[in-house]
Amino acid sequence: MKILSRAVAAFLVAGCILAPATGQERTATKGGFNLAPQSGKTILVFRPTVRVGAQSTGGLFEPNADWTDQARRNIDDALTKRQQTLGNKVITAPVSYGEDAQLVEEYSALFAAVSRSVIQYQFFVGIRLPTKKRDNKADVFEWSLGSGVGALPGAKNADYALFIYNKDAYGSTGRKMLQFAAALGGVGVKSGEHAGYAGLVDLKTGDLLWLNADGAMGGDVRGVDGAEKRVGQLLEEFPGSVQPNLAAAQP
Amino acid sequence: MMRRTGVLAATAVTLITSAAIGQSKIAPPPPPYAGAYQPQGIDEIGLWREGDEDERTLANSPILLRDEALNNYVKRVLCAAVGDDRCRSVRLYILRVPLFNASMAPNGTMRVYSGLLLRVRNEAELAMVLGHEFGHFEQRHTLADWKARRSSSDLLSWAAVFAMLGNTYQSYSNFDSLQLSVYGRLAHFNRDQEREADALGLGYLNRSALRPQAASVVWQNLIAEQEASALAKGVRKPNFNKVAFFASHPPSGERAAILAAFADPVGADRENGVTRYAAALAPWLPTFLDDQIKLNDFGASDFIILSLAENGWTAPLLVARGDLYRARGNPRDLSQAAEFYGKAVEMDAKLPDAQRGLGLSLIKTGRRTEGQAALRQYLALKPNASDAAMISMLAQVARGQ
Repeated sequence: MKILSRAVAAFLVAGCILAPATGQERTATKGGFNLAPQSGKTILVFRPTVRVGAQSTGGLFEPNADWTDQARRNIDDALTKRQQTLGNKVITAPVSYGEDAQLVEEYSALFAAVSRSVIQYQFFVGIRLPTKKRDNKADVFEWSLGSGVGALPGAKNADYALFIYNKDAYGSTGRKMLQFAAALGGVGVKSGEHAGYAGLVDLKTGDLLWLNADGAMGGDVRGVDGAEKRVGQLLEEFPGSVQPNLAAAQP
Repeated sequence: MMRRTGVLAATAVTLITSAAIGQSKIAPPPPPYAGAYQPQGIDEIGLWREGDEDERTLANSPILLRDEALNNYVKRVLCAAVGDDRCRSVRLYILRVPLFNASMAPNGTMRVYSGLLLRVRNEAELAMVLGHEFGHFEQRHTLADWKARRSSSDLLSWAAVFAMLGNTYQSYSNFDSLQLSVYGRLAHFNRDQEREADALGLGYLNRSALRPQAASVVWQNLIAEQEASALAKGVRKPNFNKVAFFASHPPSGERAAILAAFADPVGADRENGVTRYAAALAPWLPTFLDDQIKLNDFGASDFIILSLAENGWTAPLLVARGDLYRARGNPRDLSQAAEFYGKAVEMDAKLPDAQRGLGLSLIKTGRRTEGQAALRQYLALKPNASDAAMISMLAQVARGQ
């Protein structure tokens, strides 16, 4: 083999592995957890993490404030709209200050770390955590943030917390041209990244009840319709939600 | 210690001034202030927005020091350096990170590490570093650096595709050379930004009411600290004048020399603000020293403690030195630690940590009775200490025996 220069490979791969969950989608629900529709539970939604931008030719994320603003607005609206199909009461977490805000920040970071661990070590084929190997084999989904979540502002009046992460990088013209040129040489270059995950946490025990991760989602969050589609995908198989009847919708 | 630092600095300065600068001139005053800047263009607005999101997280971070007095003081030093109008565009955050660093986000978020506050000795030195960071902001360096990285990665992506299409040994080899030179250029670009920020930082200081000659001392002390660290570790002394290929900053030797050469001689008689700085730092000094000691870098920590003690030992400094030696924990360290704690107790018998350290190190060196007496003193001084249960066990075993 020639020096299929590690650098060359690394460079092209770098663009592709940004989203480890490329083209994959997984959902898991904690064993025994069942949320019946209209069961009168309250779900607290924390400020979603939204990052929208472009992807440069070299694969860098180019943040775009305008798109991010639009997406945040659209996703918020879509969440409100979707409330009916979620089957339970969805409220936005109160704006907090001081120590409360610090707590929210810590738990948001903890949720991000835990859900990334789930995505990396359990959801998709790859590295496994030694302590979680048995869980993976037995298909056990058991992760927790600890019962301290009960101290979160607004937690007293709610049953569950919903955290949402969404990142979009739209392939720039340069990236698309590179993709095309590379394809001529038989090399796959990925253009664009549309990844996100959403998780439901029990506010009494801190257990992660449901997590949905999608490395390649549809729907353009910069538009109202696209954002609705995106939120639909993020909350796919949400416990207790009314499943849209796909068979009826499709001719 | 001061003398040693001084000699080192003098050698560093003479070594490089001749080579790098040729003739000495004064860092130019900063450009006229254009007023509150607002980001322009998609890239810059996007970067600012990312900075805003980061700042949101930062403001609620558990490692943020929220002590108003300290925050106000550091902000005042920044304002004294860059001027009140510029100062208004900055939000300053002090992070409890025991490393020598500070950083600036494109949207005006300034992060100052507690390790920096521990290492600088006066307002002028602190003002130099803060001014340097403000220089990055004023010249919008993050944006320029980001654009450079983007165009470099664009170029390399295309080159990678062409190398693959060429699919010959030569094409891959060309790509490798190109990649090296692009990365080298990026690092060089970064170093030049740092040089520009150094010049700007010194420019502010030249114009301020503080002594610009202090700027160079920051780097001289850093060099001396790294030498002390290498000496204690028994490793080779780093070369402070050599530019490493991928180095993001110019070497400390070069920075010390340039800052010394470009400081305005007119300002040499101005004040440093040593006493004000020491007073502002005093409440936090034991905490910062404790964080530093936990880095497990004996040489550097001892250097810092010794340099703080240049103007006389205080009980907290002796306790810190005792902690440092006790943490290394060789029998010889423990007996020395006991000596340091003993001196601290002599100076201030009401300092609980001194009694605690004294007791623990005496017990470990076989002087059980004295040690337990000291531990009982500790418990009497601080009955609600978090380790009270454990310490009382140690203190009472003797009573039982």
